[in-house]
Amino acid sequence: MGTMGLALPWETRISSVPREREMRVKPSEDLTGRPNQTAAPAATTTAPSEDAELAERCRSGDLGGYERLYALHGVRMKNVARNLLGNPIDAEDAVQETFLKVQRSIGGFRGQSSFVTWTYRILINTCYDARRSRVRKKEVQNDDTEDSPRPEPRAPGAHPSLRMALERALAGLTKHQRDVFLLYEVEGFHHAEIAGMLKITETASKNTLFQAKKNLRHVLEPPRSNSTAGAR
Amino acid sequence: MNIACEDRDRIFEDGSPAEWAALEAHSANCAACAEELRSWKAISVLAKELRDYSDTPSLWPRIERSLIAEAATKKQRAGRWSWLSLGFGLSLGWQTAAAAALAMILTVSAGWIYLHPAKPVSSGDQSLLKSSALAEVERAQAAYEQAIDKLAADAKPQLENPATPLQANYREKLLVLDSAINDLRAQAGMNPSNAHLRQQLLAMYQEKQQTLQDILEEKR
Repeated sequence: MGTMGLALPWETRISSVPREREMRVKPSEDLTGRPNQTAAPAATTTAPSEDAELAERCRSGDLGGYERLYALHGVRMKNVARNLLGNPIDAEDAVQETFLKVQRSIGGFRGQSSFVTWTYRILINTCYDARRSRVRKKEVQNDDTEDSPRPEPRAPGAHPSLRMALERALAGLTKHQRDVFLLYEVEGFHHAEIAGMLKITETASKNTLFQAKKNLRHVLEPPRSNSTAGAR
Repeated sequence: MNIACEDRDRIFEDGSPAEWAALEAHSANCAACAEELRSWKAISVLAKELRDYSDTPSLWPRIERSLIAEAATKKQRAGRWSWLSLGFGLSLGWQTAAAAALAMILTVSAGWIYLHPAKPVSSGDQSLLKSSALAEVERAQAAYEQAIDKLAADAKPQLENPATPLQANYREKLLVLDSAINDLRAQAGMNPSNAHLRQQLLAMYQEKQQTLQDILEEKR
């Protein structure tokens, strides 16, 4: 089983909201022309002191600490899990399992990394375990062995055809590319955070994202003209 | 900063803000780069279709219940383990050596008894232990159990507060092994001369010993 290494730098802290950076498309550049219907949770950044306090409360068994963690990160954790697992039911199970694992393992959390980063790493490993067990189940049932998640309906606000097209295109990526793309582009994590969660280097995260986007663009938007291709 | 079309992919992968700004400026006069840039950004916009931060009101109460239940189970287990903390002065090395030696003795005696049974009594079952052999096996088993208990006491801190999911798994595995051992002991109690049951029991003890050693190794 994948274990959660804890040696992450303190700088690798995770805000409870996805950050829109300069390199990302700003809301005004939304090419769909629609307002952003899936607004992020309240903008509360997990400051180092709050992160440490949260860890301490959870360590002491204070249920309020877990409730605070859920209030800050619950919906985002659920969205990460849903995108990794492909359906909301498995996602909720994974979030629940993550909280239980945090409770079981908090005694071993040494504070060398951000508590929240550590929690997300547990979540991602939990999703990986769930994916593996789903594949094993499929193999036992002699069913279709395709291991990419099967997407289910989402929030009514989402644009169904665009979303489905993207989900189909994502299914064609490698698992690694899909995970990095989801964590960066959908959830808004920084490459440093993703590196901590997936146990890869920042450079590998950047490179994987680049490959993922290239592949996605190839599927979603085939080359249009020679002039465009020639310029590359 | 001057940017050429060849720089585009590198900037897409790991460009600085200044390089992005330069690429934007370059795109104003380069149709190919403008198209590539638009397409690159469109994927980021599209990615937001996968963002759904709607809350599930029933999820936190569900998590809360499971956290409370888990905490209660942890307390119960802590109570169960507490008796094991009574004075085991041996060092870890000695405990491991003692457990290994006893495992060896038990394996050899059980194997010898199984493979070379004493002269059968008239219509005796080959898998039955004679009373003298049975007493020997039971003595060895009791000593082995005691040695494993010492190992368990040493591994107790890791089991009570597992630092990793792997350690949590070890704890679950030990619970399953204990349950199997209890079942086998109950069966062996009803049928004490059954050598096959004794061997199964031995295998379970060996597995438990190995698991505890793994936990302690991880601690080191």
